[in-house]
Amino acid sequence: MWAYSFMQNAIIGGIIIATVCGLISVFVILRRTAFAAHALGHMSLTGAAGAALLGFPSMLGQIILNVISAIIMGLMGDKVKKNDLAIGVVLTFVLGLGAYFLFLFQNNYAGGVMGILFGNIFAISSSQIVQLALMGVSILIVMAIISRPLIFASIDPVVAASKNVPLRLLSVVFFVLLALTVSMACQIVGALLVFVLLIIPGAIGMQWGQSIPRIVIISILSSVGAVFSALLISYHYDLPAGFCITMLLCIGYFVGVVREFIGKLC
Amino acid sequence: MIECRDLVLGYDKAVTKPFNLTIKDNQWIGIIGKNGAGKSTFLKSILGNLSLKAGQLQVFGKLPGNNNTCISYIPQEREINLADKMSGMSLVMNSYRGWKLGLPWSGRSLQRRVNELIDLVGANEYAHRPFMSLSGGQKKRIYLAQALVNQPQLLLLDEPLADLDPHAKQHFIEALQKIHSHRELGLLIISHDMHEIACHLDAFVHFSSTGVHYCETIECVKEDTYVGV
Repeated sequence: MWAYSFMQNAIIGGIIIATVCGLISVFVILRRTAFAAHALGHMSLTGAAGAALLGFPSMLGQIILNVISAIIMGLMGDKVKKNDLAIGVVLTFVLGLGAYFLFLFQNNYAGGVMGILFGNIFAISSSQIVQLALMGVSILIVMAIISRPLIFASIDPVVAASKNVPLRLLSVVFFVLLALTVSMACQIVGALLVFVLLIIPGAIGMQWGQSIPRIVIISILSSVGAVFSALLISYHYDLPAGFCITMLLCIGYFVGVVREFIGKLC
Repeated sequence: MIECRDLVLGYDKAVTKPFNLTIKDNQWIGIIGKNGAGKSTFLKSILGNLSLKAGQLQVFGKLPGNNNTCISYIPQEREINLADKMSGMSLVMNSYRGWKLGLPWSGRSLQRRVNELIDLVGANEYAHRPFMSLSGGQKKRIYLAQALVNQPQLLLLDEPLADLDPHAKQHFIEALQKIHSHRELGLLIISHDMHEIACHLDAFVHFSSTGVHYCETIECVKEDTYVGV
């Protein structure tokens, strides 16, 4: 199994994507931007369709459209609560655009576009690994630079604003990082299941961790563990990788729910 | 500490008449007035969150908003987005120099400082419990520790006693008393229960329909029944 290059690429790519998703998912939950993560996943389809129409790689289309949408979302609502409406407006517009692109594209082979819907980690090439690694390292570096004000602005926005923390700028930067992460995660689980990698690892981290560093570590470990295990299961039992990742993470979350339930009974 | 010259406060419309006011360093001031008189607007203007309608306002010799790292604000309404298991201790730790870039602060010196503050405000018993499970009064004392973690020179408290039962109010006032005796810092506090803390304050600023007045004692605003003297 380890000798196959597609398996090596899948494992390396999977670990890069899972690490980034594990970190970002904690902030997706803290900042209550789950709807944004969900929306960006759906918008990826429009980006991929637009790119295919123009003859560009689908991931490039995804990134460009997601980043533009992320900037608009970030600018439209700098406070966590306001974002739902802003995201809903952008999502509606972009999905409409996506439907039109697919209509224009209907006479051509739309496999690349549909691949975005479900993802295919075993199709990751060596050049894509390099792209994913560059994007992953860039996201981690930016997160390390902004983590302190981002945490402060996420957990206590009113007091952070009183200390001149630039909430709107942080909101835009975070949405752009989220957009890039969604574009990466779509390679594995696809636009329909991207939500899984951007919500459940953070949720598991919050079930077990009491401080943000611990929550982040648990989130990354659960995300990487789930992707790695899912790849092995997928290879040996010929099951879809996206399905295995989803099931493993959901089981991980369910274990935490049961633990809390038992803790309340004792 | 605060210097106002012909200052007019307001949002779209002016809510105060022009007023002059000087508040010296380390003074503890009670801000009194009916709802809508401009009390919270005054605190937000000090932070530079609202532009002035007219006049001048200087905070520690600078224009509002330019000195916010040495001011701590406890707003009347806030939104806390902590994870279910995160404690008040985490809130305080993550608020330490939260405006600076980089990874979150940690280390023993910060831990020691936060422990001292938790002790000062009397929150030792529950500082490690999940913040979301705390009562209103317990949360307010954690907010006080959070406000002090950046060693401010000025504390702005917007109705910290609102929604507290008499017991919780008493604990909060005791925490303020301890802060007053241990630290040199100025304080502006808005409260509709001013009679309960008046004895710990140096002076009062009265926002009324006739203007904004500085009073050495709470007796001078006795005519306003809501003060409850």
